[in-house]
Amino acid sequence: MKSRIVLGILIFFGLQSVVLFALWWFRAEHVSNRWLFAMLSAAVWYGIARMLVGWYNFFHIEQPPEKRAPEGLSVAIFTTSSPGEPYEMFVETLEAARAIAYPHTTYLLDDTGDPRFAELAREKGAVHLELIGLPGAKAGKINAALSRTREEFILVLDPDHIPFPEFFAPVLGHFDDPRVGFVQVAQAYYNQPRSFVARAAAEQTYAFYGPIMQGMHGTGTAVAIGANCTFRRSALESIGGHGLGLAEDLVTAIRLHAAGWKSIYVPKIVARGLVPEDLGSFVKQQLKWSRGVYEVLFKEYPRAFRKLTLHQKLSYLMIGTYYLVGLTTPIYLLIPALYLWTGVQPAAMFISEYLAHALPVGFFGVVIYRFAQRWLCDPATERGWHWRGMLLKVGCWNVYLKGLILALLGVAVPYIPTAKSRQAGNFWRLAAVPLTITVGSLATLAAVIIRRLYLMSEAEVRITTEVAAGMIGFLMINVVFMSGRIYAAWKDREH
Amino acid sequence: MTRRRYQFAFFSLGWLLLIGFIVQRGFDGAFGTTFAAVRNSVADFGQTLSDREADAREHVQPHMRREDVARAYPSLSAAVLRNPSKMLYGAFDGALPESFAGITALESRIGQPFAVISFYQAWGDRPDEADFPLRAASTIDRLGSIPMITWEPWVKDFDPALRPNLPSPAEREYASLAAIARGDYDFYVTRWAASAAQYRKPLFLRFAHEMNDPYRYPWGPQNGNRPDDFIAAWKHVHLIFQKMNATNVLWVWSPHISMPWFEYYYPGDEWVDWIGTGVLNYGDTAPWSRWWTFHQIIEKAYPALLKLHKPIMITEFGSVTSGGDAAQWYEQALRDAHEKYGAIRSIIFFNQAHDVTLSATPLNWSPLQDARTMSVLRLAGR
Repeated sequence: MKSRIVLGILIFFGLQSVVLFALWWFRAEHVSNRWLFAMLSAAVWYGIARMLVGWYNFFHIEQPPEKRAPEGLSVAIFTTSSPGEPYEMFVETLEAARAIAYPHTTYLLDDTGDPRFAELAREKGAVHLELIGLPGAKAGKINAALSRTREEFILVLDPDHIPFPEFFAPVLGHFDDPRVGFVQVAQAYYNQPRSFVARAAAEQTYAFYGPIMQGMHGTGTAVAIGANCTFRRSALESIGGHGLGLAEDLVTAIRLHAAGWKSIYVPKIVARGLVPEDLGSFVKQQLKWSRGVYEVLFKEYPRAFRKLTLHQKLSYLMIGTYYLVGLTTPIYLLIPALYLWTGVQPAAMFISEYLAHALPVGFFGVVIYRFAQRWLCDPATERGWHWRGMLLKVGCWNVYLKGLILALLGVAVPYIPTAKSRQAGNFWRLAAVPLTITVGSLATLAAVIIRRLYLMSEAEVRITTEVAAGMIGFLMINVVFMSGRIYAAWKDREH
Repeated sequence: MTRRRYQFAFFSLGWLLLIGFIVQRGFDGAFGTTFAAVRNSVADFGQTLSDREADAREHVQPHMRREDVARAYPSLSAAVLRNPSKMLYGAFDGALPESFAGITALESRIGQPFAVISFYQAWGDRPDEADFPLRAASTIDRLGSIPMITWEPWVKDFDPALRPNLPSPAEREYASLAAIARGDYDFYVTRWAASAAQYRKPLFLRFAHEMNDPYRYPWGPQNGNRPDDFIAAWKHVHLIFQKMNATNVLWVWSPHISMPWFEYYYPGDEWVDWIGTGVLNYGDTAPWSRWWTFHQIIEKAYPALLKLHKPIMITEFGSVTSGGDAAQWYEQALRDAHEKYGAIRSIIFFNQAHDVTLSATPLNWSPLQDARTMSVLRLAGR
């Protein structure tokens, strides 16, 4: 309760800073180039709007009460295997699944056609289901398996996740409410110390599985996402089975919410899995996710819209537009370069005025982000500035832009399971986009210095110092944002 | 979320709003000066950065504009500026004060730098109006020239939220000069004068120009501003400048000479340093206009101006190209200014390519638009 009061005070002052910033930003005399100003405003206020909704969400943070798992429920674990996934991983996962304390049956949904997997399943006390040539990634197999099994509760376990023996203890009790359709647990990893990319990828999820999902639980919008969601069979059957698509978990969640099922989020780490360790795998995963999330935004969201609660409408909109960073980053990249080459700028603002109004917003944004870290699932290891995650997110803007374009054109991205071990790649190919931007920015800087020292009139140099310095500052911020992806590509280069 | 929790949230939000309101009010009072100090130091830092950059530029390119100005105008001291023996050429450009590109282009074509660089500032609370334009004036000074600021009392530009004691913006324009004379705008004039004093270098200040024209600006006679009100406002503002030690300011009294009774607006010899007036030939671009020469525009008013025994500045000098021969207009105008109108000591070119002050379709006053005009000016500048 005390935390919530402090949070409320911080949000209140943060809101005031945003209001003052808005009153200052949207002034007619600030418009220099109408189109650029509109673009820049869209990018800036997209970011601020997301932050505000995030604050609102934080204010609703809530943990479900602890409920003991009743005895005698019939529980299944579905885990899937696809060609290319390493055999050793399943040894560990199936062993861990067997060790889960609550009585259950584990099913291995297998389309590898590899006899070793059937043998392994037998060895680890799991039921082997041979399911070859089904549509969708995991979802086709899950739906086929649903028709062959009868358990009332089904955990869809990602094969790269190792569940703890107590997995079901905090989960199953919540199904005593017959309206609860699924219970999602936190997603955490054990390989994040292995590489820069793994740490960055893990950092990108900490806040989501911490304060964000707890806030979503508080507003009744917790989603099935990532891995390790336990479903009620009748809920899945009511929507015709598990959803298909690149973001099939999200498709399933939005359909269940639209059908009126409730969701529970348990912020407990009861399994740990793998994040991509190399840049190539990370980029492929991000392309799949962004393409999948846009598909939910364009196809599922309008269909479900009328049946969702107000909070769910807002929440799915936020999820659906998460990867618009692919559209806002190029605007931020364009603006300083455009000014430094052509003198065209979106806004006529005094840099001191800008700082005076923008810094408070940034200050409260950071303070509230840090304050909310008390709700992380594992604060001791997850707290921090998460700068790696941010650098890689902005650095991969073109991946998200590609995801958007593919979704708009309706071009499919094939589902390939994320690589489970670190892959080396060609540095120049992995770093092409951020490297081009960095080289271009440094060339711009050199050209600006030469122009201002040798070519521009003295009068023009003297009067434009601050604007040029500000734009060079923004240009250099862009260089910093590109550095993470270049560093990752360098670490993953082929020797 | 339970109902009780929402009630709690709204209750606490109400309290927070109240606290926030009080804190913000206090913030302005308690930290207003701190905030201004921080802003000033940021501005100082910008100026320092700019000076360092110019130093670096000087290092690789020793040529500086102020040397060119010094060659054309050996002295621009305060004493010389009060009564120059040599004609002071100057220019206004539409891109000022953010950019000097237009001024530089005009200078390089004429082949001589301007002694005076003119720009306009309105009164108000916007960041570009709120204070003396120190950055632009300092830049003009570093470039070796003298700034001329046309200072327009657009009293409606003051933010009603910040100025609860002023009438509503719509009401302010009626009899605004009397209000200025009464001291209603001292909060602004005093601060501006203090910054102008801080600038220390000479500058021309042209306050409330064309005050006798009922068709132009809100401080004109159409809004119940009588000549006495203008004179009282002028003296009041002038006294504040004196009180703030802004004696570096040269006062340019600037009526519209084509409108009658401008003599009644003259505040008196001790309050004025220069007489200013615009001479713009609108050619056939307006129904009320014909192609008038410089001589035709100024001849009737000139004897009256001459009687004031002050140097005269043509504060806006220019011709459109539509309706006659612009090159010939400039040539004859410059010749007449030298030969027939000896009291004219300064001419400010009106390099505005996109003037929408009087007409919906923009007028182009820039001498740069006409190659023949430029060759005339190039010769005249020598």
